[in-house]
Amino acid sequence: MALPSPSQDGRRLRSERTKQSIMDAYIELLREKPDVPTAAQIAARAGISTRSVFERFVDLKGLSLSTLDYAFAMGEAQAVVRDVDGDRPTRLRSHVETRAHTCERWLPVWRVVVANQGKMEELRDRVRFIRQAIVKRVELMYRPELGVLSAEERRDLLIALEALIDFESWARMRDGHGLSFEEACSVWMRMIDRMLPPTPPSRDE
Amino acid sequence: MSITTASKPARIDGRRLRSERTKQLIIEAYLALLRENPVMPMPTAARIAERAGYSVRSIFERFPDLNKLRAAAADYQLAQAAALAPPRNIDGDRATRIKSQVETRAGTCERGVALWRVLIFSVDEDEELKPRVRTARERTIERMEIMYRPELSTLSERDRKHMLIALEAITDIESWARMRELYGLSFEEACGVWIRAIDRMLPPTPPTPSN
Repeated sequence: MALPSPSQDGRRLRSERTKQSIMDAYIELLREKPDVPTAAQIAARAGISTRSVFERFVDLKGLSLSTLDYAFAMGEAQAVVRDVDGDRPTRLRSHVETRAHTCERWLPVWRVVVANQGKMEELRDRVRFIRQAIVKRVELMYRPELGVLSAEERRDLLIALEALIDFESWARMRDGHGLSFEEACSVWMRMIDRMLPPTPPSRDE
Repeated sequence: MSITTASKPARIDGRRLRSERTKQLIIEAYLALLRENPVMPMPTAARIAERAGYSVRSIFERFPDLNKLRAAAADYQLAQAAALAPPRNIDGDRATRIKSQVETRAGTCERGVALWRVLIFSVDEDEELKPRVRTARERTIERMEIMYRPELSTLSERDRKHMLIALEAITDIESWARMRELYGLSFEEACGVWIRAIDRMLPPTPPTPSN
């Protein structure tokens, strides 16, 4: 099998960079206005022609889905798991602050996705996938406490915790009730602390 | 007063009553279409008219445009929620009050989710919807203040405010819809999730003065 030549590699790299700049432009536009932008608007923001957009993405739907996957990957990369083995207050703080930063950064994109999920089965799947990722993080961060519950109790608690730390719950605290970032984090931390069962003693205690 | 002048207001009232009834049927037709096809946040005037059994002209005689119809539907649903969900068991014990509040709220969510989604997704483009969304949220919070007064009274003002914010988040309409649509819980199971969550969140109930 022939290896790609350096010029082919360069072309591929440039093409990938253009693709990324198109998706960055898409995300920027969503942050400014909660509507799906047109291909022309995206191209103008990325500084390329509309034709270049469609050379890299089959259609606007394909671009929208790729952008959402790209945004999710970025969100995951930014929300590094920390302090999984910390004590209860440390885990609470770490989890809430990470989640809060994700909500601050990604709320506008999330809103457009949720608003349009009824029109596209693939969007619905992705919304479901993102919610699952949020629940998995909760399971990871509060494993000791959740471990003492029955399967049904654990499921119920996870559903309630997911509702509490929803994007829109964060938005209401910040925009509707005018809480600062720290105050809003404090609300979530105290409420999660109330909702979780007592932390069992660790094995080496 | 002559008989002619005395009967005149009654005739006007009758017309007004019929017109109000038509308005209500149009709103109900709009809400029914939303529930049947939530993907279509604004059905066409022709479909609404057909469903209500009136002409398209009848709609625009009562609503200048479809956005006004949507706002009127929000008012109708707010009034309906207030009428169908009066506070019950406010003096009951903790478990009774939680169950009562949750079941009432669940009923409101079940009936209102389709329109609520339309309001939330259209609120940025329609100024008239903002106060209606705010009112709906305020009513939810006010209801919880009434239902959980004993427990909330043990908290500082700041903690009470924060507790109410969190309770409202947990019992949001979308939270209800996810339990029903995404997790496939029955009405009773979903109520159970909220009941247990609220019970964990609320502080201990203080002893009543007679205790």
